[in-house]
Amino acid sequence: MTPRAPAPPVRSRPPRTGPVRPFDFPSFVSSTLPNGLHLRVARMSRLPLVTVGVVLDAGESLLPDVQGGLAVLTGAALEGGTDRRSGPELAEALEGIGASLSVHTGWDATTVSLTCLADRMSEALGLLAEALLQPAFPPEEVARIRNQRLAALRQRRMDPGTLADDAAAHFFFADTVPYHRPLSGTPESLEKVGPEEVRSFAAGRYRPSGSGLVVVGDVDVGEVQTLARRWFGGWEGEPPLGEAFPEEPRSRERRIVVVDRPGAVQSEIRIGQIGASRGSPHYFPLKVFNTVLGGAFTSRLMLNLREKQGFTYGARSRFAFRRKAGPFVISTAVGTGVTAPAVREALWEVGNLVEEGPTPREVEQARDFIAGVFPLQLETTGQVAARISELLVYGYPDDFLRGYRDRVREVSPQAALAAGRAVLRPTEMVVVVVGDAGQVQGPLQELGLGPVEVASPY
Amino acid sequence: MLNVPTERHRLSNGLRVTLSVDPSSPIVGVNLWYAVGSRNERPGRTGFAHLFEHMMFQGSENVPKNRHFELIEGAGGSLNASTWFDRTNYYETLPSHHLELALWLESDRMGWMLPAMTPEKLENQQQVVMNERRQRYDNQPYGDWDERMQALVFPPAHPYHHPVIGSMEDIGAATLEDVADFSRTFYVPNNAVLTLAGDIDPSRALAMVERHFGAIPAGGPLPPIPGSTALPAVIGGTVREEVVENVPLPRVYLGVRAPSVKDPAFQVAEVASTVLGTGRSSRLYRSLVREKEVAKDVMAYLFPLETGASLLLFWITGYPGSDPGALERALLEEVEGLASVSRQEMDRAVAMTETHLVREIQQVGERADLLSMFGQIFDDPGRLNTEVERLRSVTRGEVQDFAGAFLGPENRALLTYLPGGSR
Repeated sequence: MTPRAPAPPVRSRPPRTGPVRPFDFPSFVSSTLPNGLHLRVARMSRLPLVTVGVVLDAGESLLPDVQGGLAVLTGAALEGGTDRRSGPELAEALEGIGASLSVHTGWDATTVSLTCLADRMSEALGLLAEALLQPAFPPEEVARIRNQRLAALRQRRMDPGTLADDAAAHFFFADTVPYHRPLSGTPESLEKVGPEEVRSFAAGRYRPSGSGLVVVGDVDVGEVQTLARRWFGGWEGEPPLGEAFPEEPRSRERRIVVVDRPGAVQSEIRIGQIGASRGSPHYFPLKVFNTVLGGAFTSRLMLNLREKQGFTYGARSRFAFRRKAGPFVISTAVGTGVTAPAVREALWEVGNLVEEGPTPREVEQARDFIAGVFPLQLETTGQVAARISELLVYGYPDDFLRGYRDRVREVSPQAALAAGRAVLRPTEMVVVVVGDAGQVQGPLQELGLGPVEVASPY
Repeated sequence: MLNVPTERHRLSNGLRVTLSVDPSSPIVGVNLWYAVGSRNERPGRTGFAHLFEHMMFQGSENVPKNRHFELIEGAGGSLNASTWFDRTNYYETLPSHHLELALWLESDRMGWMLPAMTPEKLENQQQVVMNERRQRYDNQPYGDWDERMQALVFPPAHPYHHPVIGSMEDIGAATLEDVADFSRTFYVPNNAVLTLAGDIDPSRALAMVERHFGAIPAGGPLPPIPGSTALPAVIGGTVREEVVENVPLPRVYLGVRAPSVKDPAFQVAEVASTVLGTGRSSRLYRSLVREKEVAKDVMAYLFPLETGASLLLFWITGYPGSDPGALERALLEEVEGLASVSRQEMDRAVAMTETHLVREIQQVGERADLLSMFGQIFDDPGRLNTEVERLRSVTRGEVQDFAGAFLGPENRALLTYLPGGSR
């Protein structure tokens, strides 16, 4: 094969870059209402949009296992309506201004937000306040939404990818750590919570003191401050402190577990351990270390398992940085017949990287990637609001994101390796395979990593 | 009314270029739409357009394997591509001072891809794509719904009859000669639209485009789409398929032939689809999820397609033990009920669509993709700015007529999944 036209000489190497234009995290104005509600307002005026959101100290990790899923259920049940409007009336009011209530409950917080055209901001703030301050939680709506959540759990258990995620969390964390269970609870725990528990959770935790009201968009700061006082000024109270829990693994020895899915054409593989917390001194070096291992398209896992071996459509690794150390997990889905070699290669890559460290070139590439894509992740009012909410949840200073790119660029190859070694223990990592046990157990056994346990789908 | 700026150019080799300036953040979205997709595949080569998209990342004359990803990620950019029925798009968003890097990479694989192709690379990507199929279709509950639904809604001779991913057999059958043919036929400047959106200087950007793409020769005339693209407006009856598989919950899919995206009636279908299935005030959510509690979730989505018809799709997921017949009846009752619609519902639907669109175009990558789409389909990227007005001008009568003409028993494909089976 010959090219259709001779390439001009200029083509043989990448072009030079143009002049760099500066970028910084959008500035925002901070204040606190007399009831303790933190107000954060950022002006982004490129398009006539606004995102308004309230971030609450109402995450799942506050709950004991017997109430697992209650925080998620409570957030979802906000759609049941308010003291003034039924569920359908609330939906019509919101959607009439082109908005819809978006509730996100994680381990560390619940965020309730909506986005609409900026000229509807006053109505949006009013509806957000009504939904949060006067939720009705009608028993029939709570029961219906609980049924939806129960059915969703059933879907999670029959989807090999989410089943593998949940199984990995179970085998990484001891029962004393809430992260061992699925975020949205279990059928057993959800069966035990109803309208009473939902009301009491919201009454205790949907409180202004320490919570945040975040407004980002084409707005006037003074007007937002006035509206915030009008709609949220009468809200009162402070959520109680949550109880501490340990960072305890289920086991300190490697375990290899196959969750049996007879006849599966692929194996979902998860390899990992307990990772690191948001406040870890290794936070930035670990981001760089993980980017080299499995956090980008050009990472070692992707280049080996996909581009070299053709075992998979994708392979990645990730730290879930939470208030406490969340999981570190390598994820991939491979053809059943190459399950054992894929596990071997993934373990070799993480072991080798912890042993020998990333090259200076890889660290430079990873730093440039993380620092470079930072502005790409801050294009929308919703993205900026989410980052400002994180500052409140994790207690970062207001200027934390302004220095973010510099802190990434300061990470040296030595610091990245030291962080990887401080946190990761490849010889103790748990291996979870959701696949056809009859076909994968023998080859996994032959890898000589240790005994292979078979669990039935649970 | 939106005012996304658009400046249009055409190179002498036929490449259409749209520039959309927005200096508010120092980033730029680069987006290329090629008017080629699964509709252009010949028999025995289903899935080839998508496999070819994978090969586009395997290097070109001046770019070794993996270098494309390394250069873009090292520049602090993100990138990807996707293959669809009528088109394949390639895109990167990156810091604006790296704009020329993206243009160099995109032009090198448009004009000088073939010298870098090897049997090893093809075999590797065949394995990757087979695993993509396993992951998304074969090892996923309901994963093959689109394969089954397309076969029900579109006749065997129509190019939408088969799924974009293709069959395992056809993916495995592709050769380097197929790659070369496809590149020479479809990956030519006169079959593409290039959009740059974001922090650009238009005259410098245009000079860069000319420098990198200008030497690529135009291709020949495009071959006709294989098979028969002529299609009656409706399916001509109610067709059904029932699948007993290892799925968690019963689910009913309803597929409906709808007007092509080029047809003015497409906007009517959009409003109808939104009224029925978008948001918690939509008819399906309110009736089936909230009031009757027969469904765990509902969905309506209108796939914008060019060749003969679009696909309007609904799904409704039941609860454990739900009677599938009752699910189906409840869904059809609401869909037929659109024969009567209120202005308020339509206003809500347009308001939600408007917010959605403005939210999307906050991102230069999405903006560039939409401008490419309007450029490719209508030869008018500026149409993005009047999209909401077109929806707002849809009348009650039009929605009601649409319900009568398209949502009845003569235009239904019903695909039901029931829990059971061994896996």
